[in-house]
Amino acid sequence: MCGAHAAVRSLLTEMIAENDRPTIVDIEAGLEHLSRGTARSVDTMLVIFEPYFKSMETGARMTALARELGIPRVLGVANKVTPADEKDLAAFCLSRDMELAATIPRDEVMATADRNGSGPLDVSSSSPAIDAIGKLAERLKADG
Amino acid sequence: MKIAIAGKGGSGKTTIGGTLARLLARGGLSDVLAIDADSNPNLALTLGLSREASQQLRPLTRDILKRVTGEDGEQRTVLAKTPAAVVDEYGVRTPDGVMLLLMGRVEHAGAG
Repeated sequence: MCGAHAAVRSLLTEMIAENDRPTIVDIEAGLEHLSRGTARSVDTMLVIFEPYFKSMETGARMTALARELGIPRVLGVANKVTPADEKDLAAFCLSRDMELAATIPRDEVMATADRNGSGPLDVSSSSPAIDAIGKLAERLKADG
Repeated sequence: MKIAIAGKGGSGKTTIGGTLARLLARGGLSDVLAIDADSNPNLALTLGLSREASQQLRPLTRDILKRVTGEDGEQRTVLAKTPAAVVDEYGVRTPDGVMLLLMGRVEHAGAG
């Protein structure tokens, strides 16, 4: 690992571990750059995936890797879900030992925000997807 | 609460992470910190910053790290300032009160 990489990784690890605020970290798309140190600085990882096979497979691999890295709690979040997906999704998560913490429905507000390059909450204060993320927020807050 | 958000590009990871941070803040959790450590950072927009404001974000650099030698003789890399000072200096307050920090990038092409 080159020195610059190592420095940026320790910087991230130190910032997560040493600050006392509730912290949400948007990490690199793949987990290959995630160091053990950074992994140990978080208590929860949310693995976001979509309800089609390749994306679910990626999610399952990320979940396994995150557990190997020692993250205490790894939760799956399925995004852009339609009612037709729900059965397969539940079966897949069960078969790969993934806890599905939230199912975010496919939703026009999210699509509009994507197109605008803005936040969903700048498009609307409530929608099926936003409300599902809100429920997840409540759960995470209750867990501390 | 220290939560990492992972997922393939296009999965909606940034949109969900940013919205989660805002809803936690709107729900009364104070001092929520969001850190963008993706190599293609766009958490700022999800948090409600304008494009102009998000382009002015100052990323954290390795200058805020220092090498120290511990009692065991091992060299370690630690923050040269307190995390609170780092947030004060580099953090940007977003519309719902979430503080945003942007991680510095490693230049890949020929560097490192």
